[in-house]
Amino acid sequence: MKNLVVLVFALFTLTAFGQKKVEEVIIQTTAECNECKERIENKLNYTKGVKFADLDVLSKKLTVKFKTKNITLQEIKTIVSELGYDADDTKANQEAYKSLPECCKVAGMEHTEGK
Amino acid sequence: MKYLLYLSFILFSFGSFTQVRGIVYGSDTLQKSKIFGARIVLLQNDIKLITDEEGKFEFNLPKNLPDTMVIKAMGYYPDTLFLGKEDRFSNFQIVLYSVQLIPEIVVSYKKGTKSISKLKSLLVEEISSDELKKAACCNLSESFETNASVDVSISDAVSGAKQIQMMGLAGVYTQIQMENIPYLRGLESAFGLNSIPGTWVNSIQITKGTGTVVNGYESMAGLINIEIKKPDEMEGLFVNGYGNIFGRGELNLHSGMHLGKSKKWSTGIFAHGSTLQAKLDQNNDGFKDIPTGYNAAFMNRWSYHGNRFETQFGINTYIDEKVGGQLNFSRSLPITTQSAYGVLNKTKHIDVFAKTGFLFKGKPFRSIGILYNVKYQETDAIFGLRNFKGIEKRAYINAIYDDIIGSTLHKTRMGISAVYADFSQNQDSISDDRLEIVPGVFGEYTYTGIRLVNVIGARLDYHNLYGAIFSPRLHTKYTLSEKTDLRFTAGRGWRVPNYMIDNLSLLATGRTWVAPAEIKPEISWNIGGSIVQEFKFLKQKASIVLDYYYTFFENQLVVDRDVSKSTIVFTNLADKSYSHSFQAELAFALSKTIDVRAAYKYLDVKAIYNSLLQAKVMVPTHRGFLNLGYHSRNKRWSVDATGSLFGKSRLPLTLLSNGLSTTQNESFVFPMISGQITHVYKKWEFYIGGENLGNYTQNNPILDAANPFSTTFDATRVWAPVMGTMIYGGFRYSIPHKELKKEVGNL
Repeated sequence: MKNLVVLVFALFTLTAFGQKKVEEVIIQTTAECNECKERIENKLNYTKGVKFADLDVLSKKLTVKFKTKNITLQEIKTIVSELGYDADDTKANQEAYKSLPECCKVAGMEHTEGK
Repeated sequence: MKYLLYLSFILFSFGSFTQVRGIVYGSDTLQKSKIFGARIVLLQNDIKLITDEEGKFEFNLPKNLPDTMVIKAMGYYPDTLFLGKEDRFSNFQIVLYSVQLIPEIVVSYKKGTKSISKLKSLLVEEISSDELKKAACCNLSESFETNASVDVSISDAVSGAKQIQMMGLAGVYTQIQMENIPYLRGLESAFGLNSIPGTWVNSIQITKGTGTVVNGYESMAGLINIEIKKPDEMEGLFVNGYGNIFGRGELNLHSGMHLGKSKKWSTGIFAHGSTLQAKLDQNNDGFKDIPTGYNAAFMNRWSYHGNRFETQFGINTYIDEKVGGQLNFSRSLPITTQSAYGVLNKTKHIDVFAKTGFLFKGKPFRSIGILYNVKYQETDAIFGLRNFKGIEKRAYINAIYDDIIGSTLHKTRMGISAVYADFSQNQDSISDDRLEIVPGVFGEYTYTGIRLVNVIGARLDYHNLYGAIFSPRLHTKYTLSEKTDLRFTAGRGWRVPNYMIDNLSLLATGRTWVAPAEIKPEISWNIGGSIVQEFKFLKQKASIVLDYYYTFFENQLVVDRDVSKSTIVFTNLADKSYSHSFQAELAFALSKTIDVRAAYKYLDVKAIYNSLLQAKVMVPTHRGFLNLGYHSRNKRWSVDATGSLFGKSRLPLTLLSNGLSTTQNESFVFPMISGQITHVYKKWEFYIGGENLGNYTQNNPILDAANPFSTTFDATRVWAPVMGTMIYGGFRYSIPHKELKKEVGNL
């Protein structure tokens, strides 16, 4: 019995160590301009569990560091999608995408009517 | 087989060496971004390609040279470049301008809070509003604390006036502009920096040396252009409250909004109020260390963007009342009934400005811009029994015509300007009334090659009192490599001195003023150059800037405190008066969150004082500067620390109350340390900081403070802070602008 308890305890601590407390990921988004950067960062930086969110406008890559205990990667991707942007394989929420300003829509920085 | 490999390798590398590559960016006033899918066409060789997702392109240099390369992208004006045999190693950085802009707007892009704009031919330092927040500056005189190029100093220990210096030369030799309209001239050059609150400022551009001829003739040491927040881009609502341990309180408010359905009109309202009522005397000399009083400012500006016409116009007013001097001086009682020494300062102005821009259909590089300005200014100052009263009425107009010759390789700017200024100045019993009417004509030609940018300009102004004065200017930029820029500048500038207001602080002394026999224009030449080198350090972007400028005067109104110990002599000097200024500035990042900026400045400023070539007083020869900034990755916390070390400077030999002369005629080396912590929470920002954290003060800044009405009283021998450590705190609340100008394609 004592051995079983020790074994269970050991397994438990092993799994606890195996799971990382803080993760840092890079998510590919469809953010086009500085305004998109501000929207995504401002939303995530004040979300519980997120340590920081930093979007590089040129590559559209979003770096997020978060506490796995408070939030999951999928939840973060959902937040990005609900703002109107793709997050890796999670597609943008269509309603949110439609309400974005012109420059934030896909290829918004080039495809404009020249005068 | 081996030889075949070598041969193919050589051929391959040869092939890659004849590749031409580049990046295409698109720009509007807010930002610059790479364009994916921009089209590049070589006209003669019939080569067509498009840029990739990174905006990059490359192709083999064709045989049929020279050729013309046209770059096009939807929503931007196309650009044309010359392609020649020398472009075998070329790496182009092409910027296309959005159809939203009129071509005269100067482009600058953000590369961190302070950046050197590489696209401009002049060396222009840009201070963005983020940089301004690093030291909670309240007004413009406090905005240069984290900048090594501009020095701010107090000129006397009683009036609280702050003056700037560039290259060791007095602030009056730096032209200060508000959105390209000359500002802070004439009567306002003494205390005017206090009239622009820091929160109104969007960015500041600092140019060393003579600026372009388009802006006028008065930039001799440099040019500082202040861009105020624009109604179509500024916050919907912004509120800032500030307080410090000396009892100063400030409130700033501004709001901008678009009007109507078409969103072509927008307006902004700005308000500011500041007060200091506590009497402080930390050094126990019987004098207030800082004057009490209040100031208030208000501005309303409008903006209209049409298809072929644009305009901006507005009005601003300012009032400032300060009471300094001895603690027992009362403002409400007449001066003649009091035995206490008092300093009174009353400044007010009202200013109306407008800018109109006209575009031509089908010709994106042709435009006409006209600037208008009308101003009324009153300055009254009393220092003990000495006084100054001045009224200035000014009108200014500047019309600029922009065009190109053939292609964008050759750009021209030409125009006419006129200044009308009516001065009425009285200092004790001396009068300096003057009416100035200065019409002028100017022209500027810019050649933009692949590596070389050359700006040649000249202006001819006809002053009603002094005749015609010619000011040529030359600015050259050579791109040595993708990461190295070389610049050279040479030019002539001039101004008509207002010796009374330019040196108002010098009334805070018992020394007699000896007025100049006649007033002649001050004329100077400035020659200099700079190297901007970018490199990578610890995998982050870093840069080093080295610059050197030599300024010499053909004629200058010199302030001579060395002729005798009891006078200040103002005289026209057509003899040696010069300034050598060398500055080295290094900027790098220690990590993604920590930025470092270090600078060293060497100044050698001399003129003929009392018939001897001597150093100008109170200009330190050496200055060191270090700024560290930490910004957390989640953008919620910022910590900034700035340290400056000021070297020794010469002090004027002065008579003491016991009949002997001062024995300490050289200032000491001293540090100035400041720091600030800012916390951001959604729409709120809270900050707390301190200045003069080293608590360094000058011992006895006021000579003979016990006898302020004697000839040995002198409050102008100030070279270090008068007040000790100051702690401040404040908050900012802002709501972003609803319809930001990013609605590209909606107009």
